Formats: sequence, C-alpha cells, structure tokens
Amino acid sequence: MTYRTHMIVGLSLLVGAVAACSNPTEPADSATVAEPQRTLTLYSARHYDSDKALYAMFEEQAGVNLDVRESRADQLIETMKAEGDQSPADVIITADAGSLWRFQDAGLTQAVASDDLSAAVPQNYRQSQGHWYGLARRLRGIAYDPARWSAEDLATWDKLAEEDKSGEICVRSSSNIYNLSLMSEIIHRYGADDAQAWATAIVGNMARNPQGGDTDQIRAIAAGECSIAIVNHYYWVRLGASEKEADRNVATSTTFLVPEFSEGSGSHVNITGAAISATADDVALAEEFIAFLLTDTGQSYLTRDTKELPLLDGSALPTGVENVPEFIASGTSLDVYGENQAEAQRLFDLAGWN
Amino acid sequence: MPRFTLSPRVIPPALFIGLVGLPVLVAVYTGLTAGGGETWDHILNNRLVPYTLTTLIVLAVSAVMMLGLAVPAAWLTSLYEFPGRRFFSWALILPLAMPGYVMAYAWADLMGVAGPLQASIREMTGWSARDYWFPNLFSAPGLAFVLASTLFPYVYITARAAFTMQSLATLEAARSLGTPPLGLFWKVGLPVALPTILAGVSLALMEAAADYGAADFLGVQTLGVGIVRSWMSFGQADTAARLALMLILIASAFLISARVFQGQRGSQQTSKRWLTPRRTPLPAIWGAAASLLCASILLLCFAAPVLRLIWLVVETRAATQDFWPLLRTTLLLGAMGTLGAFTAALVFTLATKRSGALRFGARMVAAAGYAAPGVVLGLGALYILKVSGQALSGSIAIGFLLWIYVSRFTSAGVEPLQSTIDRLPKSLDDATRSLGVRGVRQLFRVDLPLLAPGAIAAGLILFVEILKELPATLMLRPFGWDTLAVQAHAYATDERLPQATLPSLLIVLAGLIPVILLSWRLSRTERT
Repeated sequence: MTYRTHMIVGLSLLVGAVAACSNPTEPADSATVAEPQRTLTLYSARHYDSDKALYAMFEEQAGVNLDVRESRADQLIETMKAEGDQSPADVIITADAGSLWRFQDAGLTQAVASDDLSAAVPQNYRQSQGHWYGLARRLRGIAYDPARWSAEDLATWDKLAEEDKSGEICVRSSSNIYNLSLMSEIIHRYGADDAQAWATAIVGNMARNPQGGDTDQIRAIAAGECSIAIVNHYYWVRLGASEKEADRNVATSTTFLVPEFSEGSGSHVNITGAAISATADDVALAEEFIAFLLTDTGQSYLTRDTKELPLLDGSALPTGVENVPEFIASGTSLDVYGENQAEAQRLFDLAGWN
Repeated sequence: MPRFTLSPRVIPPALFIGLVGLPVLVAVYTGLTAGGGETWDHILNNRLVPYTLTTLIVLAVSAVMMLGLAVPAAWLTSLYEFPGRRFFSWALILPLAMPGYVMAYAWADLMGVAGPLQASIREMTGWSARDYWFPNLFSAPGLAFVLASTLFPYVYITARAAFTMQSLATLEAARSLGTPPLGLFWKVGLPVALPTILAGVSLALMEAAADYGAADFLGVQTLGVGIVRSWMSFGQADTAARLALMLILIASAFLISARVFQGQRGSQQTSKRWLTPRRTPLPAIWGAAASLLCASILLLCFAAPVLRLIWLVVETRAATQDFWPLLRTTLLLGAMGTLGAFTAALVFTLATKRSGALRFGARMVAAAGYAAPGVVLGLGALYILKVSGQALSGSIAIGFLLWIYVSRFTSAGVEPLQSTIDRLPKSLDDATRSLGVRGVRQLFRVDLPLLAPGAIAAGLILFVEILKELPATLMLRPFGWDTLAVQAHAYATDERLPQATLPSLLIVLAGLIPVILLSWRLSRTERT
C-alpha cells in the first residue's frame, strides 16, 4: 500500500465519521429557533427516565419547551458561575440539601416567597428564605444483619461508635454528600469536638476502608464482610425491587432502620429539591413548574424510579418503600447541612475517614 | 550567532501553542494566585502529603505492572514464532479501547465481595467473607492494576517498535555466539530497547496521573480525587487548581524523563533500515508457554472485563434505552475533536522541524495539557467563558469542548508524528527545498505523504482517546449532546451499574474499530 492510499484511507475515515453523524437528532439549541413558544431551562443533577416522562407532560400541559442540562451538581454550579448573567438556567433540581445550599451560597438562586409552594412544602423541608423547596424526601439510615443485631442495638447514631461494633461497619467515602450532610447535623447537635470523636470511633469500627457506593455496602453485609451499613433508604428499597433474584435476596437478608440522634430526638431526613435560578427570566413559569412537581402526578413520577419518599403527605408511596419503618424527622433546619459542610469534611479528614 | 528574526512562519505554531496552552495556563495561574485560606491550610497540613504519596505509589506500581505486561509480550511477538503469534501481536493492543473507569466498573463487579469470584469461593467452602483473604481492588495496588491494564498497550507498542528496530547485526551476532534466548533478552535486547520503552512508560504514566474516574470509583485518594474533593466538598475551585499544580509538576517530570530516555538512544540506531529480525520458532513446550502468557494477558486486560460487561447487559436486559443518538454524538464529537487535535499536532510537528528549542517548548505545552486532568482543563475553560461573558450553550459550548479536546490530546498526536519525522533523513528536507518545493506545495506533495504512517496512527489514537474522555465532556457539552461516556457515568454515580454497562460496552466497541485499524497498520509497517 502506498503512502497516498494511506492518506486516502485516513482522510476518508475522518470525513466518513463526520458525514455519518452530521445530523444529530437532538437539536443543539432549539431555544435559538425563532418561535413564539416559551422556553424553560432546567439544570438537573438527576438522571431518571421517569423524570423525562414528567418533563414531557409539563411541556404539553403548559405549552412550553423544556431544555434540560443534566450533569453533576458541582459541575452545574461551576457552569452557572461561569455563565454569570448570561446563564439560561431557570430552575435547578438536585439531590441533598447540602448540594442545594452550594448553589445558594454561590449566589445562583433567588429567594421566592410563593404562597403556593409554601403551602405545599412543610417548613422543615424548605430553605428558610425560600431559596429552595423540597420535592421528595430521603433517609440516611442503617441496613443491618438481623441475625447479628436487634433494632435496639442500633437505635441511635451514638451506638455505632460503641466498642461492640468494632470491625462491623461498612460505609462509603467521606466526600460523599450524604455523609457530609449527616455529619453536618451531628456537628450542629453536639459540636465539632464530639462530632470528630464520633467519626474517629466509626473509623475504628470499620470493617474495611470506605469504598464503593451505598448499594455496595448492603451487598457486603449479605456477603458477610460486615454486619452494619450506613446507607440511604432507597438503595435498600431498589435492591428489594430488583429484577435480579440475587439482589432481592440481599435485601431480604438485611433489615433497614432509621436511627435517631438520641432517644426521642428524631432522625436525619434529607431532600431532593428545586431552586429558582437568580437569572430566571420568567419566575412565574418556574414556579408553575415546581408546583407541577408537587402535584400527585409529579410526586409519583419523581419517586417512581428513585424510591424516594414523596414530600406530600397524601401521595402514594412507590412500590417497595412500604418496608421502610416509620420515623420522626429531627426538624433541624436544612440550612445547617450546607453551613457546616466544609467543617464536616475537615473533621472527617482529621478522623481518617477516607 | 544567528539573529532571531520574527518570520511569518512562526505565527501559525505560535498561535497553536497559545491555543493548546491557554486552558492549562489559566488553571496554573488560578492555582498560583488563589488566596490561601482555611481550606488550603487544611489540605496543606493534612492531605497534601497523603494525596501525593498515594499518587506516586499508584504510578510506581502501575509502571512495574505495565513493564511486566508489555515487555515480555512484545519481546516474544517480535522475535519468536509460536502458535497464535500473529493474532496476539495485534490483539494485545485492544485494551486501549477500554476507558479506565469502565475497566474499574467491570473488575469491581468481578472481584467485589458480592461478585461472582468471591461468591463461588464462599459457596464452595461455606466460608464467610471474613474467613479468607482476597485481593482488594479498592486499594492503591488495585487502582494501579486497573490503570496498567488499560494503558500497557502504549508500552507494548513502543517496546515492539524498539525490539523490531534493533540493529539486526547485534542480535544475530549475539545469537551466533550461542547466547541463550533469555540471555539475549537480558544482555542485548532489553538494554538496547530500554530507553525507548521507558519513554513509553513515562507517557503512559502521564495519562495515568490524569485519571479521576477509576480512582474515584475505587475510593483511592489520589491527587486527581483530591482535586475534585476540594472543589466539591469545600466548594473551592481555586484550591482545586492549586492542588492540580502538583499533578502538572509530577507529569512534567515524566515528560522530561521521557525526553532524557529518548535522547539516550541516538547512538544505538546506526541503520535507518526498518527491518524485522527473523523470528525464531520456539520449541513446542516453550511455544505453548508463550501462547499461554499472551492469552492470559489478553484475558486479564480485555476479554474477562468485556465478557463480564456483556454478561451483565444480557442478564439484566438493560437495553431499554435508545443509544443510537448517544453513539452518534459520541462519534461526531470524536471526529471533530480528532480533526482539531490532529491539525494542532501537525502544525506543532511540521513548524518546529528546524528548531529544537521551539519543538521542546511546543511539546512541553502539549504535554502539560495531556497531563492535566480533564476536570482542571474544564475549569480553565469555564474561567475563560466567564471572562468572555457568554452562556455555555449551542456552538459556543461545542467550541469550548473542542478546544479542551485539542488542549488535552494534542500531545497524543504529536508523539507518533514526531517519531515518524525522527526516522526520516534530514537530507530529504534539504533536497525538497533545493528543488524549489516550498510552502503549501511542500506540505501536500512531500511532508504529508511522508508522514502518512505516523499521521494515521496519530488520528486513530486521538479518536480513541476522545471517545473515552469524560470530565471535560461532562462539564462543557451543550444541551442534547450527551455522549456514551456521560450516560455511563450518570448511571454509575446513581449506583445503577446494570444500566451503565450498555453505554460502557458501546464505548469499548466504538473504540475497537480504530484500535484494530491501528494495530493492523502497525503490523503492516513492520512487514514492509
């Protein structure tokens, strides 16, 4: 083969690749097409097919076009900071109050005093000035081996720090937002010194170095590597609802429990929530969208795949969630999860929680 | 002394150097000028040393593993004939199509405490997970294995090139003097090829140092993970940029050592003729052993993880979503990014042909981009976007994304082009000029045809690298431009690995085509 044919092959490969895909079906920016239709731009840190179905319903119902950018929350923040006044974002959806607070802290959200939203969302599930509103609830709790422990043994977070749990705990990395938010509430209740001592004791009781996600911790119980896993409730529920028999067996061989901080103090509850961006053009439309997510339809689609708990009291539970035990929320202001976040990471680092 | 004159010929390379270097420069500048503050103090006092040490340990272990995987296989396939040699000689490059994070998903699933290997141990013995020892993938050596198994083909390619290009005379002389095969390897083959091989290792390590996806998934506290943590948990993008300086520093050290190693080999290459030494047939038993070794490497670094992914896709029937648009976007971005990075690499190589200093500068700039994690370059791009006062959408977003691809990967294109040029006699250039062929005519009639073999390799490597790219694509892509890597990552972070397997597998399959073309091309050049 000559050099010339090499060149031809190489170039035609490139040209072919460009030609074969020069026609992406999804328009790059349909927003710029001159149409009278209104556009709402959503920055979301969620990636669920049921969300997409829900968005399509809103598009039809409200007669608007919905542009969605899905990415990790931290990257959405940097994108919005970089875009500044030019940001097309109208609504932000992300899991965890600690994550919502990061948007607020960066000045990317606006306080909205909406009667509709305030009426729908109880006070302890929204930001105090209306910067963000809860859409669904999530519990950080404990999955455990019922052959090894009783619910009594694990009723409070303190009990995980006791010596008899040595070598029994599985938990993920400390940089995970769920751990940071839990630690933030512990700092809020007991102060930095006690919080660090608690984290140090947990590190001492770990069966292995923090690794993997929440699901991996539950699987490790079934495999016998540890007997206690600190996890969010929906990972346990999803295993129970899995198509794989092995996954369902993992769920049935473990029990889920929502510990309190101390007896009668209530439990750590977190949210998935929505915020209206500081640059939103059409605040009324953004409010309409969030209100739509807080209808029965919205709630059922938001929680169907995620297995979160609906925020509205009357809404039907997604299948499998009925196995999660009753709990009482601690009522701590969600603002705390954000305000103590950097301190939480610092204390985790000092405690040696990787 | 020649007076320095600013000729118009300097402008294109200077522009391209600026283009490639700007995102890194912005990141470095941000790192240097960022206010210290509490977060930086904390990281400096408590985390910097562990992050750096872990990174260095991972890189060191990974280097040893890459050498162990690549060098014996390259030696055997270049100098000996054994069953399956022709197949192995190209198939051993296939792991290049596996992104590190996909390799990590697959092996974590295979080797995890709940995975099939450990489960069958427990089933057979009736033990619990605490009754036996099993290698832990979620550790620094585990990460080193994952990185080595995806990056060793770079070392394999350079090692093969070094072995096949060795002076025939030396090897034949040693053979005729009765040097046994092992002696031939340790006393002649390896010492002569070592500088080239180590240069290959250095470049592979730069890529390994920039990893974030695999380290994050396996929970190993490398600098790459630390950078993202200081950004996410502390909300300090500036501190992240500062931490990235350390990584760029380590990578520059690799680049400089690669250059030093490459410089050492000059005197060894007396003949410019590219001849493959005659391959000695191995006796039956040794031939079988050689086949077994190559097969095990291929199984470990490619077949086992890919088969596991296929199994997971089939088992969970995860193919509910239409992946065609994702595949198309992936290929389109890959093609456009390749075109951009290739042009930059070509300009770098051709325009700096006559100036050693300019060449070194250009390669340093390209290498700094190659060594910087995609996250850091993405942050650099966002700073530039901020200054420009634009929104990250439509063609602006695509422009930024392609820019970062160019900044990040030009180096991967420069290396094969440069090595092709290095093999051409200098007199060729003078001859061209004496015949009055210059400028654009010289480019199309002389330079490009001569560079073709290197150019095809460069294009294919760039295409595969860009297909696998995750962090920058995640940060900068516009609405509706999700790639397979983005989708796989989204599912994996949601702990829905079954759904993540299909897009992961498609990335591997899309990457396989250029990788196979690449190995086909490499084996052809060896035969000419």
